[in-house]
Amino acid sequence: MAPHPGIDTDQIKEKARKDLLGLLEGVRGKKNLVIEKSLAGPIGIFVKFSTLQDHGIDKVFFLENDNVDASQKNVIFLARGEKATQPIAIAKQIKRLQKNGSIEHEFSVIWVPRRTLVCNKILEEAGVLGDVGVEEFSLHFIPLEQDLLSLCLEDSFKDLYLQKDPTCIFLAAQALMPIQQAHGLFPRIIGKGDNAHRLMELLLRMRTEQAADDSNTYKFGMLPSASIESLIIMDREIDFATVLLTQLTYEGLIDEMFGVKYNQAEIDSSIVGPASGAQQSGKSVGAPQHQGMKRKIQLDSSDKLYEQLRDANGAIVDGLLNKVARRLQNDMKSRNAESISELRDFVGKLPGYQSEQQSLKIHINLTEEIMKNTQGDIFRRSLEVQQNLYDGSDPSYQHDTIEELISRDVPLTTVLRLLCLESCISGGLRQKDLDNFKRLILHAYGYQHLLTLDALEKMGLLSTRASANVLTNPLGVGGAAAESTKTNYNYLRKVLRLVVDEVNEQNPNDIAYVYSGYAPLSVRLVQSIVQKQHLLTITKGASAASNGVSSVAHGWQGFEDALRNIKGETFNKVQKGEESAVKARHMLAGTGGKPKSVVVMFLGGITFTEIAALRFVARQEEGRRRILICTTDVIGGDGMMEAAIEKGDFGKG
Amino acid sequence: MSNPTAGWERVGNQFYRKIKLYDAVFDQDLELENYVIAGATCSGAIALYRDETKLHTYRGSQTAKSSIDIYSCAGKLIRRINWDKGSIRGLGWSEDENLLVVTEDGTARCYYDLQGNFTQFSLGNDAEEHGVNACRFWSNGFVAILSNNRLIAVSHYKEPRSKLLAIPPEDSVHSWTIIPPAHALSRSVEVLLAIGQTIYVIDSTEAEDQVLPNGPFKHVSVSPNGLYVTLYTEDGHVWVITSDFQNKIGEYDSKAKTLPKDVQWCGNDSVLLAWEDEVHMIGPNGAVLKYYYDGWVHLLADVDGVRLMTNDVCEFLQKVPDMTEDVFKLGSTSSASVLLDAVDQLEKKSPKADENIRLIRPNLPDAVAACVQAAGQEYSTHWQKQLLKAASFGKSVLDLYSSDDFVDMCEKLRVLNAVRDYRIGLPLSLEQYERLTSEKLIQRLINRREYLLAIRVSDYLRLPTNKIYVHWASQKVRNSTAPEDTICNTVVTKLAAKRGISFELIARTAYDEGRSHLATQLLNHESRAGKQVPLLLSMSEDELALDKAIASGDTDLVYFVLLNLKKALPLASFFRLLTHRPLATALVESSARDQDQSLLKDLYYQDDRRLDGANLLFSEALAQNAPQTKVDKLKLASKYLQDSPKAPPASRYHKSYQEAQALIRLQTSLDSDLHAGEKVYTGLSLNATLHRLILTTHGKRANKVASDFRVPEKTFAWTRLRALVAKRDWTELEEIASKNKRSSIGWEPYFNEVLGAGNTKLAGGVFVAKCTGLTVRERSEMWVKCGMIARAGEELAKAKDVEGLEDLRGRASGGGLVEIDRLIGQLRPKR
Repeated sequence: MAPHPGIDTDQIKEKARKDLLGLLEGVRGKKNLVIEKSLAGPIGIFVKFSTLQDHGIDKVFFLENDNVDASQKNVIFLARGEKATQPIAIAKQIKRLQKNGSIEHEFSVIWVPRRTLVCNKILEEAGVLGDVGVEEFSLHFIPLEQDLLSLCLEDSFKDLYLQKDPTCIFLAAQALMPIQQAHGLFPRIIGKGDNAHRLMELLLRMRTEQAADDSNTYKFGMLPSASIESLIIMDREIDFATVLLTQLTYEGLIDEMFGVKYNQAEIDSSIVGPASGAQQSGKSVGAPQHQGMKRKIQLDSSDKLYEQLRDANGAIVDGLLNKVARRLQNDMKSRNAESISELRDFVGKLPGYQSEQQSLKIHINLTEEIMKNTQGDIFRRSLEVQQNLYDGSDPSYQHDTIEELISRDVPLTTVLRLLCLESCISGGLRQKDLDNFKRLILHAYGYQHLLTLDALEKMGLLSTRASANVLTNPLGVGGAAAESTKTNYNYLRKVLRLVVDEVNEQNPNDIAYVYSGYAPLSVRLVQSIVQKQHLLTITKGASAASNGVSSVAHGWQGFEDALRNIKGETFNKVQKGEESAVKARHMLAGTGGKPKSVVVMFLGGITFTEIAALRFVARQEEGRRRILICTTDVIGGDGMMEAAIEKGDFGKG
Repeated sequence: MSNPTAGWERVGNQFYRKIKLYDAVFDQDLELENYVIAGATCSGAIALYRDETKLHTYRGSQTAKSSIDIYSCAGKLIRRINWDKGSIRGLGWSEDENLLVVTEDGTARCYYDLQGNFTQFSLGNDAEEHGVNACRFWSNGFVAILSNNRLIAVSHYKEPRSKLLAIPPEDSVHSWTIIPPAHALSRSVEVLLAIGQTIYVIDSTEAEDQVLPNGPFKHVSVSPNGLYVTLYTEDGHVWVITSDFQNKIGEYDSKAKTLPKDVQWCGNDSVLLAWEDEVHMIGPNGAVLKYYYDGWVHLLADVDGVRLMTNDVCEFLQKVPDMTEDVFKLGSTSSASVLLDAVDQLEKKSPKADENIRLIRPNLPDAVAACVQAAGQEYSTHWQKQLLKAASFGKSVLDLYSSDDFVDMCEKLRVLNAVRDYRIGLPLSLEQYERLTSEKLIQRLINRREYLLAIRVSDYLRLPTNKIYVHWASQKVRNSTAPEDTICNTVVTKLAAKRGISFELIARTAYDEGRSHLATQLLNHESRAGKQVPLLLSMSEDELALDKAIASGDTDLVYFVLLNLKKALPLASFFRLLTHRPLATALVESSARDQDQSLLKDLYYQDDRRLDGANLLFSEALAQNAPQTKVDKLKLASKYLQDSPKAPPASRYHKSYQEAQALIRLQTSLDSDLHAGEKVYTGLSLNATLHRLILTTHGKRANKVASDFRVPEKTFAWTRLRALVAKRDWTELEEIASKNKRSSIGWEPYFNEVLGAGNTKLAGGVFVAKCTGLTVRERSEMWVKCGMIARAGEELAKAKDVEGLEDLRGRASGGGLVEIDRLIGQLRPKR
């Protein structure tokens, strides 16, 4: 994960930190902070709780809990203002405090990432707008890693595909604009999917609007960037199947078993041991209270060991751990230092050894726990079903297994993921089968899931095969129409070589290693742009690659057929600046041979496995180009299902 | 040309200069002594208002009408604002040259453009109740003192919020002032109140007595940098102390019998005392300078000096800047002064010019820089030129010199000279200009409607001109009497090729003027969809506003429009707007889901979206408490679907709804039968219900329920298996095995589950043998799992699988090993 000299993610972090603390300092004296739950995690990435305390925060409350007390005169609310829920909740709590508080409170609201008209209106209608100081905290992208920026919009998947609410597209556009302002226009915006197309249009529109905006008058308008090669936008909708598969990288497995959120995982302390004192002091905002038996584990590149492990296939992690353990032992043994200076060297390294040893212990425990699970019957069976499905064997052979899993009362998400996977890959289920499964699910998990199943159908994750005969046809000729309404995996499997049987997990030679044999379609598409030659060679053979498409081809060239079999619009837009200005810069700067950045934006979420695959691609391209991953949120198959699952049941009352 | 040192006077060891900026400022009839005066910082506009407390001669009804008059420093009337809103208790300026007027009843107006447009806000109930006494202003806020000494602070005008400060004592206030937030330690405004013998410092949280012995203080004044405070005592003493009240800097006895009417700082190192026509300057170390005037004189403190206003002249009093002193001081031998002399000699064609240069050769770069700087401090163009000439001469001798400073200064002077013209009346000093910034200077020109000069200056300084054009167009729209189409044409043709023009602003002006047709026309030229929306909304162009909001892609705007329309329109027309606008519909749906379910119901009904409507009823059923109401809601949902011919899958849903109802009824009866009404079964799924029934030895009932709900055989088998294992009911399991020959799910699951529960005896003893469908090896493996190596061996031996036995041997030990060896031995000989 080399730092990006072009787009400096640390700088984004530092700026966010400064901005937030500045806003908090703007309110004098001690204050209570009421924060929206979904913001606590993201903010914890760049500010520690102790830092907030240093800046006068006394207590932190969650907005959703509605329990802020009158212990401080100053109360600051920190929330997103895109939806009506938060301003309504804030107005209610302000009124409550005003009514029964004995002291006169000073309220301020900080909206993230912008102050919206809606929250203005709601506060105004509630009659509290005059009593609050309103500020904006323009927090867009939050760097999770140096090559990974996330908007951390937890609801983005649900909003986009179930509610059809495109707010996150707009926010993504707003987040990408500053990158253009700082580094110049993306010379090429290329992507796939209807929502991606909308994002591209928004970016173009914002560019023209910015020219008309008086606060931002550039003398010559913007020029295409010299340090960025292109922006690739992937709509999650084009490839749901990848998310539904069980992630098999180490980080992916941790996510599947324990859930990883904002570089942290909450893990039972019976597995990893209780937290040591040192780590507790570094508590982040997200954890004002230490939770009973759970322990938060930091999972990011600050842990050097984890950085090596995270993107490796889960099957080889125990081997890697062994190696590290042995090396560490050797290092520690070499302490019979000869001279004083060597001894000093050794002592200097000691803290490093200790932390490494500690992290080694944690990861050995985690791996053990994961292995216990992966060797279990249920995990193996569901993996088997997945593999058979993407291999293209007749899905109906898998039905017995799925039925059995339902009868065995495995978690609902597991079952739904398998069913949706089948639906996605084979273009829908037969009506009869679907009805049968629905009945089984309603019996096993409760009738409230009638709503769940409906939601899945609405998202297009579950469907019947009614008119889908064309789509199952593996020749892909059905793609005569301009755009496909469903992604045809059966066709793509061959054309893009999604299934790689002889994948080497130890020394990966293809991105398919992240799923032990399946290459995520989304990343294949990225490869079709940035690694055109390479992908042509592995899909069509070396000869076809050399004479099929010229080496200077760009955009989607060479893969048009494949794209026609993927859902949604395809686009490839070149952004140009004013010609005279471009020329002038050419004269001044010449053409540098420095590697350029490719910004890959995943709209609707990205999985850890896809991140691993993109990093793999980035490593192959090292020296030629860098890849910066942007996303609305990091998601997994379970999260995707949770978006649809009805939480209520008939047990109320 | 008069000597530049002509107006200089020495105060202590420093020089002060008084520069005459303009003469014949005000009309001689204007009785300045009867007016309250307020001047904007950085040589901005001056507001005059007749002091109500003073008597004035009656001059007929015409002049009796009270007004606030805004003048430029040169005495040019910019705008007269008629005033009939009551007694004015505060008149002041913000740094953006917004005029603030505060009345006794706590109403504040902010005139933001010098043209009489204003926004208004109130200081709250306290102010209304007790009345405002006076106000003190700082760059972007003010503090008002009420008749009961309460203090109200307003810290910005964009969204003014009045804030009560800590409660001061109620005794009478002799004088007061503020320390602006930028200079206060606490970063929020602090108020100094002279009460009794002492001074109180009041901020938002506390009122602190500074315990000074020398009061009462009749005047309090804070220096521009906020570091020092001047106090004027009743007996004519002037005290200068630090603003933290820790150190005394100086004391001076004015020996004056009458109280000065004003005490102001001039820069940060001297204090002016003003009487009616006399001004005393007290410099450092108590040095004094006195100025006398013919008429009444007003002091207008600025950042780097004081403007003195009389009817005749507008003068600027400031400390002579150091570089100017260096160059011009009599007998100065500084290199800059020598350089200036050199250029003089050069003009006289005297060889002394060269001599001079040689003399200062080592210091020449500094001399050039000093001349450039000094030029910036001059108001007379002659001396500006002379100094620049000197600098130019000096730099021509230098081998290496970056001319940036020189060019920069020339640019600045050109702009300064242009705006210092009496027709413009902005006598900015260089320091003021640098503080103000060129952008704000242009804004000032715009506000004075000096468009041509504004554009010239902008072009000269390479600044954007769009705002100027927009302001011009707005004025055109506001004031022009031409037909609307002509106005539109003029505006559009003039502005067409310009960048960054906000047609929205112009259109809004037109709309505010009541020219809505013109507004629509102009709005069409606005390229930013989002910007058009609010105006369209206020023009009741609902549909257009919604479409533009959608086009902008900003969901906030769409929400906003929808919120407004929902209020404004009858429901039916609101829904009509939604049809064919999927984005708007989606947003209404997702927000209504949390807040307004009945709206959602209506929407679904209107659009005939039966399934969604039924789902909504279904989720309502989930929210119900009593079993009966749940069932009722479900019935309703079912009926809702049936009514519609358009929903083909109705039958399928219908069945599920009915099953759900049946399950609720069943669970209610189970709870009352088995648990005396306690909710144990309620809320469980069907399978969980079966599981629980079996677990609690109600197997028969479970069978019946399963058949009632037509639970598939396999599912039931699994459920029963898991429940029995959980119950550790081994006898029942054994019985199942002995009674049934076949099992719908095979016997392997039985083996696995029983084994998983740790009963190897049962697993191995009963179920391995039943797994007849498996291969020998698999079965032997099952034996091994149960720890029955011998049985595993027998299994293999029966099938004569020597290889398998060999393999098994490797894993066996002790008795098992012997047994397997025996079995191998049995098989071997026969080969």
